[in-house]
Amino acid sequence: MDNLDAARMQMAFTLIFHIVFACIGMVMPFFMVISHYKWLKTRKPEFLTLTKSWQKGVAIFFVTGAVSGTALSFELGLLWPNFMKYAGPIIGMPFSLEGAAFFIEAVALGFYLYGWNKIPERFHLLTGVIVGVSGVLSGILVVSANSWMNAPSGFDYVNGQFINIDPVAAFLNPAWFAQALHMTLAAFAATSFAVAGIHAWQIYKGRNTVVHKTAFNIAIVFGAIAALLQPLSGDYSAKDIAERQPAKLAALEAHYKTEKGAPLYIGGIVNEDTHQVTHKIEIPKALSFLAFGDFDAEVKGLNDFPEQDRPPVAITHYAFQVMVGLGTLLMLAAAVYLISLKKRTWQDNKRYWLYFAVMAPVGFLALEAGWIVTEVGRQPWIIHNVMRTKDAVTPMPGMIYSFYMYVFLYVILSISVTWLMARQIKVLNTTQTS
Amino acid sequence: MLYVVLFFTVLSFFLYVLLGGADFGAGILEMFSGAEHKKSIKKTVYSVLGPVWEANHIWIIILIVILWIAFPAFYNVVIIYLHIPLTLVLLGITLRGVAFVFRHYDAVKDKTQHLYDRMFEFSCLVTPIFLGMTFGTLLHGDIMLLEDSPNADFYALYIHPWLQPFPIFTGFFFSALCVFLSATFLIGEAKDYEKRMYMRKAGIATLVVVVLGMATLIAGYIAGNEFTQEFLSNYYALGAVTLSGLLLYPLWKSIRIGRIIYCRFFAGLQVLLILFAAIGIHYPNLIITRSGEISLLANRAPDAVISVLGISLIIGGLLIIPGLLHLLKSFRMIKILEERD
Repeated sequence: MDNLDAARMQMAFTLIFHIVFACIGMVMPFFMVISHYKWLKTRKPEFLTLTKSWQKGVAIFFVTGAVSGTALSFELGLLWPNFMKYAGPIIGMPFSLEGAAFFIEAVALGFYLYGWNKIPERFHLLTGVIVGVSGVLSGILVVSANSWMNAPSGFDYVNGQFINIDPVAAFLNPAWFAQALHMTLAAFAATSFAVAGIHAWQIYKGRNTVVHKTAFNIAIVFGAIAALLQPLSGDYSAKDIAERQPAKLAALEAHYKTEKGAPLYIGGIVNEDTHQVTHKIEIPKALSFLAFGDFDAEVKGLNDFPEQDRPPVAITHYAFQVMVGLGTLLMLAAAVYLISLKKRTWQDNKRYWLYFAVMAPVGFLALEAGWIVTEVGRQPWIIHNVMRTKDAVTPMPGMIYSFYMYVFLYVILSISVTWLMARQIKVLNTTQTS
Repeated sequence: MLYVVLFFTVLSFFLYVLLGGADFGAGILEMFSGAEHKKSIKKTVYSVLGPVWEANHIWIIILIVILWIAFPAFYNVVIIYLHIPLTLVLLGITLRGVAFVFRHYDAVKDKTQHLYDRMFEFSCLVTPIFLGMTFGTLLHGDIMLLEDSPNADFYALYIHPWLQPFPIFTGFFFSALCVFLSATFLIGEAKDYEKRMYMRKAGIATLVVVVLGMATLIAGYIAGNEFTQEFLSNYYALGAVTLSGLLLYPLWKSIRIGRIIYCRFFAGLQVLLILFAAIGIHYPNLIITRSGEISLLANRAPDAVISVLGISLIIGGLLIIPGLLHLLKSFRMIKILEERD
């Protein structure tokens, strides 16, 4: 592996972990706050038990998210110093605002975690709401930096120089809304299904069902809504990519030949040498319609891009198929939940709970796949059409060792967090609530 | 707006050193305490730092973000040539953070607590050493730029500059400062019978700070580094350090009469004076390389960037600082009220 690939692997690896921690840290406070609100309203002990159990989860994920985020703020420079040298000032605004939002979250979390029986109840609840809102806000803000890499704006690039820098225009770059919406919904869908799934498994196992059903019902609502809205946001994103990053669109659809009335491939095996896609299901004209809202629109194929400007096709295409496929499964699960609200007997069937337990990891797998689509699909550029990833990487050799170290660290970290959560649930199961 | 940005740069640097430093120091204190004190230190640290411990460590993110936005070319040199010590700092920050939260939020308290404790203490010791080393390297003058010496090997470019007596002593000096801060901060929080223990530790830390500070200067002097020579001939720097030393007397007095606020103020001021001396004499040329000096100011971003950053920082500051103060105040009040009951 050369230095560039090692740096890319390290970035991918750390982001893949950070994204999980960050999403849970963003969404779980909402569950916690709702449970807390219900406790204040009803004074039913299961809500208090659940709130306190979830707050520990929030604390653990907030911290792992915070430290992996701190690591990333350094890694951006450590791995891509030349990117940061030029892009840093341009996209500084979302980062500094994210820093502020994150700080507010940390302060509010301080109040929340340590405020039990110490500060007024309503103010205590409010600090919980602030944790959630500022968490989501920092997520939305930081996505602006990524969307800028896809839709660079707010500067003029003349003779290799970045001039006329306008940080506000860069911050409000045209891809931001589509990406932030898609990412936020994904965070809610993934976290909600994961949390609901874990509690569903406990119900399936018949452990402390009162608390776990309460938990499931709070979490799944968010997941169901997000999963049903996500396809709309996905469609919006696809049209945005079609317009702004035609090479990425062509790669994620494995579309080599420029044509009018382009077909959509579902599945398929990509041969990057022969430019053939075999074993696919072909839907005539669907790609043209999805990308441009017109069955006969022309979709530019990869063959029309110079070889050095094409992203890796197979990875992008497979990741996209996985994302869409898993997203569809989540929609189905959302439908099952909504129907079960009418058909109450479904919830008496153990298989209902097993089904949701199996769905637990699906949201996060879809989210990771989507992240791969957008990042690998942007290659070979780090700033779309402006700077290549290979020109941004650190001159320091030996990045492979740094990569190994991070893999080691993050694997240990993930195992510990999972183990801690398991212990948390074990304790929850032995808590008497009535 | 440049001054607003500089203000926040300095503010986040100072606050990280004072607050983050005291956090690290607490871990080191714990490490060098006998079993009978370990538990009580752990408890005191948790009750004091608990609500703000995460906030304390966000200052370094703020600092890094300001540096890369406002002083990109300056930051570029730091991040390329100090890759290895900074990676080790990161490793330490990560382990410290997770160990702190694991040991307090693990639902089951069993033998793994020992593991968390060791992890916490070790990372608290190592992180400030590498942080200090990073700082020392910038001023030591052994950094070689790739464009000036394209044939230099890996060791010469990425290891040699920080693996020198001056940066290493700076690292140890900084961690001793952290212990000093932590011990003096904690005196105010301790129960009577523990106060003596913290006072003793603060005393030892003071001694170590003085010894290591001298050792650092001697190392710099022997290596003939420009920074040390300037330091020793600069009246402001010498004055600041002397004043810092003289403040030990009022510090000791205020501990004696139990005025916690004064005691913290003096300890904080002492460290700030040392930082002022270290940064002030060579400002704005805060990186010294073999082929010349690199100025913070000359490498700043265009004015439009500085203005927007300045405004963002003011807005952020207005939102955060009252909240943070309120957080500190609330828990202080609660603690006082509880003690009264």
